Amino acid sequence: MAKLLLIEDDAATAAEVLGDLRGRGHAVDWAATGPAGAAAARSADWNAIVLDRMLPGLDGLTLLRDLRAAGDRTPALVLSALSDVDERIRGLRAGGDDYLGKPFVLAELAARIEALLRRPTDTRETVLRVGSLELDLIAGSVRRGLRALDLLPRELKLLAYLMRRPGQVVTRAMMFEEVWNYRFAPKSNLIDVHVGRLRRKLEAEGEPVLIHNVRGEGFTLTPDV
Amino acid sequence: MSRLVRSFAFRWALGIALWSTLLSLTLFAFVYWQTAAFMQDELDQVLRHEVRYAARDPEKAANRIETWISEDLHSVHFAGLFGPDGAKLAGNLDGRPLDLPPDGEVRRIGMQVAIAGRRLQEDLWSAAASLSDGKVVVVAHDTDEIDRAKATVVRALGLALVPTLAFSLLGGMLLAGRARRRLASTEAAVARVMRGDLRQRLPVGEAGDEFDRLAQDVNGMLDEIERLMEEVRGVGDAVAHDLRTPLTRLRLRLERGREQARDIEELRDAVDQGLVWIDQTLEMVTAVLRIGEIEHGRRCAAFGSVDLGLVVSEAVDLFEPLAEEKGIALSIDLDGTAPAIEGDRSLIFEAIANLLDNAVKFTPPRGKVRVGLVRRDGETVMYIEDTGPGIAAGERAQVFKRFYRTERARQTQGNGLGLGLVAAIAKLHAFSLTVSDGPGGGCRFELGCPTTSGRF
Repeated sequence: MAKLLLIEDDAATAAEVLGDLRGRGHAVDWAATGPAGAAAARSADWNAIVLDRMLPGLDGLTLLRDLRAAGDRTPALVLSALSDVDERIRGLRAGGDDYLGKPFVLAELAARIEALLRRPTDTRETVLRVGSLELDLIAGSVRRGLRALDLLPRELKLLAYLMRRPGQVVTRAMMFEEVWNYRFAPKSNLIDVHVGRLRRKLEAEGEPVLIHNVRGEGFTLTPDV
Repeated sequence: MSRLVRSFAFRWALGIALWSTLLSLTLFAFVYWQTAAFMQDELDQVLRHEVRYAARDPEKAANRIETWISEDLHSVHFAGLFGPDGAKLAGNLDGRPLDLPPDGEVRRIGMQVAIAGRRLQEDLWSAAASLSDGKVVVVAHDTDEIDRAKATVVRALGLALVPTLAFSLLGGMLLAGRARRRLASTEAAVARVMRGDLRQRLPVGEAGDEFDRLAQDVNGMLDEIERLMEEVRGVGDAVAHDLRTPLTRLRLRLERGREQARDIEELRDAVDQGLVWIDQTLEMVTAVLRIGEIEHGRRCAAFGSVDLGLVVSEAVDLFEPLAEEKGIALSIDLDGTAPAIEGDRSLIFEAIANLLDNAVKFTPPRGKVRVGLVRRDGETVMYIEDTGPGIAAGERAQVFKRFYRTERARQTQGNGLGLGLVAAIAKLHAFSLTVSDGPGGGCRFELGCPTTSGRF
């Protein structure tokens, strides 16, 4: 359970987000204006802050910049209804750790908050292990138990991304952003096909399932032992 | 009245009248000045000559001034010979004018003279000279002649000014009236355009003058505005229409789910289907906004050097599994290394991904999709060929328009915005975008990227 702060001026949106995040077991506080949000952000230790780009009284990005200037490193996710694509860059430059454009799906927001809360602390490790899976980043080799797997470079990258987040739901958009490094909504079932391929190589007949499809949300890699 | 004063025609008429009056006045002043100066000069010379002639020989001075006086038929010649003490010795002047120095120069002096037995105060042009024996001779001429000539010129000017003014006013009114009539027809046309009738055009005359050219330019502008309005209206209608279809489906599905669901699972199914349709709708709205945003060129911030070969192979890599699942052979043909181009990597990827998405979507199983790069006359051409149904020649110009879907495309899922987005991205980068027949049936899209000069 994490302590979260939501700064969002639209009460209806806030109610849905609060309901969803609380339903997922988080303790969430809500501030409706920029100044109230800034005060709340300083008054307590939060695990993460979700804030809207456009807030009455104090702009979301200004608020974030002030927080960062004061040395506050709390993970922050910026929400924005502005359609300008450069918005994302602006949000990240102001000190945001992630960015989500409106309209968004609740599951997407939850998954991204989860990713912020469980940010991999050590990204320097060269051998990743999840259950019986072992990925050597330097050699580019993957084994499941004793079986060596033959993966294409892209599949290797996708698997490494999932193995750094075991048990965590990652959405298709997150995978596309991180593994392919492009920013737009990928069409049709492109990502599913890639994940499907990876699964066929990972999970031989009779072996326990490693990558699970979380309906309406995304995928998750769970340890098999 | 104030409307008349402010009117273009009235001001022109008045302006032209004033201008021609000013011109006539200047001309007259010049003539007047030249005539008067000429006559004065003539008289001065005569007087100077006479006074010098009379003063040359003291013996004959009296005689000579008598001759000067006798030459006169109109009582305008005057002369006098005065002793050193000022006593009159000869001539028809009573006394020597004291304000006239005896230096032979001509001056205008007022004095008493006897004309036809009457004594009159007259202004005379006079010159005086000293004789060797101390006497002074004065020769004078009446000023009336020159004054009369001057007055005649001034009167002529006054008389001529009236018709000049009248004619120039008339001419100004005629000219201005003509301009006014042309303007009135233009004004009427503009008024109709302002009332919303964009099909109206300004009248263009035969003359081909500046006014006609202006009217032509305005008409060209109206053509463009009409075309844009047409397009906006088309987009608006298409958005509304395309939104209504999924929203109708959504409404029906939710309504039926609410009434007929027997358990929570069935209700959830209804909601899930509804969410899919909502996502499609939002996707379309996002695409419309994105096209608009790209078309307004607000993305130049992200421009940089782009390795086209890398972007193409990454796009192919993304679509390869999907093509394989559909049984389509997706091949890539990079002709050596392509030079870097200037652009937005993410947008270029999106354009290629959209073209690839179409190719994979429309190509039947066991078909082929080929993507490649070739260098051609200073540009790098990215092509995508497929063995799908192709695009009919008549529809090719239409496919890049927003919401246009070919007859065949209507049977598949899509919003008709993919190629519109590609076109917008191409336009932002100044890439050429063409579609033609593919070598193995199907179609071939080409994206011509001008290679940045100086980069290789």
